Formats: sequence, C-alpha cells, structure tokens
Amino acid sequence: MAEELVLDSAIRDWVLVPLSLVMVLIGVLRHFVSKCMSSQPEPDAKALKESQIVLRARYLRAAANYIPAKSFRMRKSYFNNEENGLLHVPKGQGQNVQAQMLSDPNMAMDMMKKNLSMIIPQTLTFAWVNFFFSGFVTAKIPFPLTQRFRGMLQNGIDLSSVDVSYVSSRSWYFLNLFGLRGLFSLILGEDNATDDTQKLMQTQMAMQMGGFGADPAKALGAEKEGLDLVQHEWLLPQIEQRAAAVLSQILA
Amino acid sequence: MARAHDAADAKKADDPFDSLALSAENVQHNLRIAYYCRTFLSIVAGAIAGVLGLTGVYGFLCYFLVMLCASAGLAAKTRFNTSAFFDSWHRVAFDGFLQGLMSFVLFWTLVYDIVHIF
Repeated sequence: MAEELVLDSAIRDWVLVPLSLVMVLIGVLRHFVSKCMSSQPEPDAKALKESQIVLRARYLRAAANYIPAKSFRMRKSYFNNEENGLLHVPKGQGQNVQAQMLSDPNMAMDMMKKNLSMIIPQTLTFAWVNFFFSGFVTAKIPFPLTQRFRGMLQNGIDLSSVDVSYVSSRSWYFLNLFGLRGLFSLILGEDNATDDTQKLMQTQMAMQMGGFGADPAKALGAEKEGLDLVQHEWLLPQIEQRAAAVLSQILA
Repeated sequence: MARAHDAADAKKADDPFDSLALSAENVQHNLRIAYYCRTFLSIVAGAIAGVLGLTGVYGFLCYFLVMLCASAGLAAKTRFNTSAFFDSWHRVAFDGFLQGLMSFVLFWTLVYDIVHIF
C-alpha cells in the first residue's frame, strides 16, 4: 500500500545501532551489578543436610531396580522408618521453618535488591529512549505483518498511512528487550541476571506451592511418599538373557 | 558432550535398562549445550539472512534450513545414536527452536536494516 520510505542513514548511525548497543551494554552492566549486590546466602547446615537426604532418596528411587529386594527394603526403612527414619518429619516442625524464613530480614532484603536492580535500569533506559529518540521510524521488519501489529510496532508514531512493517524507536527498544535474551545467555552464561521473567515465574510458583521459598519439610514428605510408592522389581535376574542377546548380536 | 550412559550399543526400545540408565545431570548438560548451539546459530542465521537481504518467507526458510543443519550436526555429533545422549530424539530435533526464533528475528531485522534499507 504505502510506497517505500526513504530513511536517512544518520538514523541508522545515531539511533538504530546505538540503541541496540546500549541495550546490550546495559544488560551486561546489570548482570555484573546484580552480581556485586547479591549477597551469597549463608549455607544453613540443617537445610543442606535435608536437601542432601532428599537427593539420596531420589537416587535410591531411580536406581531401585538394580539392587536386590532385601537391600532395597533395608534402604527404604532407613529413609522411611516411622520412628527415626531420615525422611520422617515430626509433626508441627514445618510451620516453624516457614515462620523463621518469613521473619528472616536478609531474605526480604535480597529480594528487594534484585527487584530494584531489575526495575531501575529498565525504567531509566525507557526514559532515555523516550527522551532522545521518540518519534523516529527506526527500522523496517523484513517480512509483512497484518494491521493488528501496528500498535505493537509503531508505538509513538500516530500515522496510519505508514506501512506496518516500519518500526518506531520505542518499539525497537521493546523488540531488543525481548530478543536479546538469547544473546545474553550466550555472553553471560546460563544463570544471568537479565533473565528476570523466568525468575519471577519461579518465585511465584514457590509462593503458590506454599509459603516463602521452598519448604524443606514438605520436600521430605513428598520424597517419603514417592519412596513408599516404588514398586520394586529386581532387574538383574534377567541379566543373563540380556548379556546372551548382546553377545550373540556382536558375534553374528 | 558427556555420555548419558556408557552402554552405547543400539538396543531395543522396550529394554528396561535403556530408559533407566540415563544420568540426569549429563542429559541436562547435553541439553544445555544443544541450547547454546541453537541460540548461537539462530543469531548467525539472522545475520546471514540480513546480509543476503532475504525478506518474507525466504528469511524464515533460511532459519529453518540453519536449524535443520543444527539438528543434523547434533545428531552427527552423537554419531546418530541420540538415545545414548538425550532422553528422546525429538530433544535433538526441536529443543530451543522457538527461543531461537526471537533472536533470529531481531538480528535479521537489525542486519537487514543496517545493510539494505538506509
């Protein structure tokens, strides 16, 4: 519909490239700032012990069929014994842990720091983009889109005659915000600070699952139930047939 | 890549040993590596499509082609025995496909704009 727009190459040199560059650099900066600010949580001996127990029980559950029935029962009772089994949680202890975590000021501080380091740079960058670059047609998306995308891609320009595939500077900022995640995971490693959305989801999940953070007592209980449900069947009696099959395959 | 389990010879699918003897950490590690490969390749594919000035469907075809090459490369890296490294073959073929698309579109647009439209 609309004929080709002619864009000044100064826009490329002074808007498009700097904007993308600044977004990348701010992402890197945020990563390192949040790394400096986040305090390493003091390892709690009890919590560590419990998580290790859960891990051991999980290993037992995964590899249950490789050990004889008697050995399995022995290990199971070591974990699940009602009197002094490792996974057995005395009643009323779970609440305590939760209350303790809620009253721990360090935790709340840490959360707040993380949130601040996430929100402040984003607001600042957005304000900066708005102040310097509002109203530019910055880029053109190399594929056709329907009219519905106009609000998303031409945020800040109110011209309905411009083809939808032209992108305003403010929308280019948003595209960068979402699209650079892959690049950040490449240059900053797996668990970088820029990956906020996943972290937010995780904390929300944990909140819904019950309380602040994961409740160790609940994990123990769940693992105990899982271990109770395991149907033990020793695999190794059939090992000879299997070995024979493999060997005959090799020899054939 | 770390082997997920040591018995590498091809086995029948109903073999109970096959599904159980995967080391979860190694599978995780392999998946992460595959994800990195895909992210990197999607950025490279974006740059390629942008420099060549592909528009519309051809650009996406370029992405699919590169992703296909990535899958083939990963499969070749496992010596076409993906079950020894991943818990199922479609992990190799499709994992990280959609996450890469966003990066691809961004870099495609960026490079295409820098090279062609100004």
